[in-house]
Amino acid sequence: MPEIKVTPLGAGQDVGRSCILVSIAGKNVMLDCGMHMGYNDDRRFPDFSYITQNGRLTDFLDCVIISHFHLDHCGALPYFSEMVGYDGPIYMTHPTKAICPILLEDYRKITVDKKGETNFFTSQMIKDCMKKVVAVHLHQTVQVDEELEIKAYYAGHVLGAAMFQIKVGCESVVYTGDYNMTPDRHLGAAWIDKCRPDLLISESTYATTIRDSKRCRERDFLKKVHETVERGGKVLIPVFALGRAQELCILLETFWERMNLKAPIYFSTGLTEKANHYYKLFITWTNQKIRKTFVQRNMFEFKHIKAFDRAFADNPGPMVVFATPGMLHAGQSLQIFRKWAGNEKNMVIMPGYCVQGTVGHKILSGQRKLEMEGRQILEVKMQVEYMSFSAHADAKGIMQLIRQAEPRNVLLVHGEAKKMEFLKQKIEQEFHVSCYMPANGETTTILTNPCIPVDISLGLLKRETAIGPLPDAKKPKLMHGTLLMKDNSFRLLCPEQALKELGLAEHQLRFTCRVHVQDPRKEHETGLRVYNHLKGVLKDYSVQHLPDGSITVESILIQATAHSEDQGTKVLLVSWTYQDEELGSYLTSLLKKGLPQST
Amino acid sequence: YRDLHTFELQAPTRLIEWARGSRVCVAGYGQSDGNEILQLIPPPTLLTKETQGLCPERDFKVECGGFSERPVYSLKYVPDTSLLVTSGPPDSSLQVWQVSAEDSDVIKSVSPIATENDTGQSWAKIATISARAPWVLHGSRLDRVQITEVESRKNVYTGAPGGSEELSGLAFLDCSTLLLCCATGQLCLADVRQPQRLLEALPVPSAPCSERWCLGTRHGAQGLEPSSQPVARLSSRGLLTLTDLRKTSEFLALAKARVPSPGSGAEFLCVSWAPALEGCLAVSGFDGTVHVYDTQSWDSSGREAEPIFVHKGHAFGGAGGSGDPPLVTAHTWHLQKPRTLLSAASDGSLHVWDWVQPCGKC
Repeated sequence: MPEIKVTPLGAGQDVGRSCILVSIAGKNVMLDCGMHMGYNDDRRFPDFSYITQNGRLTDFLDCVIISHFHLDHCGALPYFSEMVGYDGPIYMTHPTKAICPILLEDYRKITVDKKGETNFFTSQMIKDCMKKVVAVHLHQTVQVDEELEIKAYYAGHVLGAAMFQIKVGCESVVYTGDYNMTPDRHLGAAWIDKCRPDLLISESTYATTIRDSKRCRERDFLKKVHETVERGGKVLIPVFALGRAQELCILLETFWERMNLKAPIYFSTGLTEKANHYYKLFITWTNQKIRKTFVQRNMFEFKHIKAFDRAFADNPGPMVVFATPGMLHAGQSLQIFRKWAGNEKNMVIMPGYCVQGTVGHKILSGQRKLEMEGRQILEVKMQVEYMSFSAHADAKGIMQLIRQAEPRNVLLVHGEAKKMEFLKQKIEQEFHVSCYMPANGETTTILTNPCIPVDISLGLLKRETAIGPLPDAKKPKLMHGTLLMKDNSFRLLCPEQALKELGLAEHQLRFTCRVHVQDPRKEHETGLRVYNHLKGVLKDYSVQHLPDGSITVESILIQATAHSEDQGTKVLLVSWTYQDEELGSYLTSLLKKGLPQST
Repeated sequence: YRDLHTFELQAPTRLIEWARGSRVCVAGYGQSDGNEILQLIPPPTLLTKETQGLCPERDFKVECGGFSERPVYSLKYVPDTSLLVTSGPPDSSLQVWQVSAEDSDVIKSVSPIATENDTGQSWAKIATISARAPWVLHGSRLDRVQITEVESRKNVYTGAPGGSEELSGLAFLDCSTLLLCCATGQLCLADVRQPQRLLEALPVPSAPCSERWCLGTRHGAQGLEPSSQPVARLSSRGLLTLTDLRKTSEFLALAKARVPSPGSGAEFLCVSWAPALEGCLAVSGFDGTVHVYDTQSWDSSGREAEPIFVHKGHAFGGAGGSGDPPLVTAHTWHLQKPRTLLSAASDGSLHVWDWVQPCGKC
């Protein structure tokens, strides 16, 4: 039976490091190559030795696909391609290709420079790795080789995030990566067509969450900012260049306008350039609203939001500043933070997850005394708040996606088995498909039923429909033909034509059966008895009595002969060709029942 | 408001029940099967005393869930066990479920408690207590009330015959005293030790019209003499009566809630006492709002009372202009935080809100 094999390679359930191996129709694909953010040693990388003990990864894997730029999906890529060794193609969307190296470099800097680690990939490795990347467009079918093709679908979640369909022949797998089924201010919702894959692999980390409404989060965010600004404090919002920053800017701008607030809002110039640059490149990736505003005016020409200058940080009075980088580990946001940390009227709002080792991570875990370079201690008196706007699919979203794609099987990754039983039952009950939840390192085999199309020859079709009862839409009709498999094509032909094509001679098979009948009379009288009997019973058939004494029923021949030893017994020879098997068998059993007494 | 959180459930619920460990339970009541019973863990913000504005964990988590073939109209946890009991159309039998959150996240169905099926019987109302053993008090009609011991399925009490009024609510006042409320508004007291006999029946206020009534008793008031707590009754016309069970001949108070009239169906009428605020009760089921009243200023005049707070959130939620406006289906008070309530509506929304006492009161 053809099968698809799936093995998640990531280990540990907390933050989740995504790396899934899929074997489909002889092709091997690696989905995502993520880093585990919580570990400092080799446990942070997926265990690649599982893939092949001593062979070369490049030979084994047909391609690697990266769904989006979050480090728990691409963080281990340079390690994998340059340190472990892989030279094959790496597929990702254009925005992901543009943003990945920046995040990887940032991450590398923190890990090596700040934490002093040695066994880590270098900047050059990141560059070399990105050279192996082939960027793809949405809904574009990409031929990896003659048999394997992939297609990216919009996934929402972050800029450039995609769900991938991997297809070999008529077997296909869809991998969702992280996705979101509800649109937000700057990204649309994930969408896929009714592609009916054999398997849908979906992240399920947030399946058990019922999310607080967006309006509430935004309202609370605005409340905090407002409160701080009202009491004369300064608000620092560290952001990564893209995505959430735009959303928060739009939010603040609208709020400032409505409440007629006067405090200045700034964003650092680095942010503008990068953001504008990427938005211009990837405008089709954001949702309708942003696209419209971008067309009407430059994204960053807000009435209330101005470009930041380093000197402004020292200005008295309230203000709000967006600055990079997002985890407060270096650069402008860290500089501003150091200036403002000592004043309890100020506030810093962290917009997302911070990697261990960064200042962002430390203050979120409650640390209030930080050691800066030069052994200086920084006392953090400013308020520390956390606001996560990142969106993942919850149970409802997962059900929606399954409804859209109509897979034959579903596989859930990144959830604790105990906590997934309910969702598994829900999926199985509603869609009548099998749902799997492999543990990391465990291989799940999914049996597929590939459809093999076969052409039927016109001659055969005509001939078969002419025999027997008329074709009825409600009744299946059994047809006989010969399946010819030649040169990767499958055809159904009538036997004669098949024989001709193959250059084989046709052989006729004839069966003869002996039926013993008690009859002391002469052969031809027995024959007559048989004839009369059959004529009476087989009214729908053509029963003939030939001059030589033999009887034919359609094309079946019956002859009566004398038994060599026993005068009282006659032997009826019933003979038919293979094609008349059914009738032949019927006649034989009929005759075996015996002849009626009267002639 | 001091705080307001809005959530959306996949399917609307008409019940919100508290469970051990601050869990909250909701369940679907749709006509088709595949209704889910969900036991939720509220976000930490709701469990702590102080409200934190921005917090990493702001979401409800589904701790475990079960599938019910029938719509779930009422659900009660059975104290001292890991079981819960549900009821719903088409008949008055009860479904029993096992919750074992540590082992698996599925709420498993255990064999049901059957009742004699009469034609035209509606769904049973339920109350549970763990007295001599875990008991469930259930019934859809006054004469079909019974107490079943949950684990042994033994019938411990059967109600008095006669009186085929439909019940709209029932409660244990203590382990021997039952309070039954008919849809016509009549309240009956019964003693478990004296089956086949009702202790007394309390009259309905006002002129009879075809209104439906429901009951609100103060739960969580352990240690206090139960019959000293006033019992509230709410009618589909908005009339509220408070009765002291020790002085049943007269009403403690009578008031009219400010609700749109005529009341659209009495399907989701709900009145409940605040566990931590003296004299406060909440009313819902008329429209998309929840009203909070302070009954301490009420008298028996039947005047219209002014709510001290109105939660309007459900009326604004959901897709604008599509079909009927949402109707609040259930509400409940937070057991510890005095001014926090949870409310659910017919559009699947679930709100958690904390209101601020208006100035002038403490």
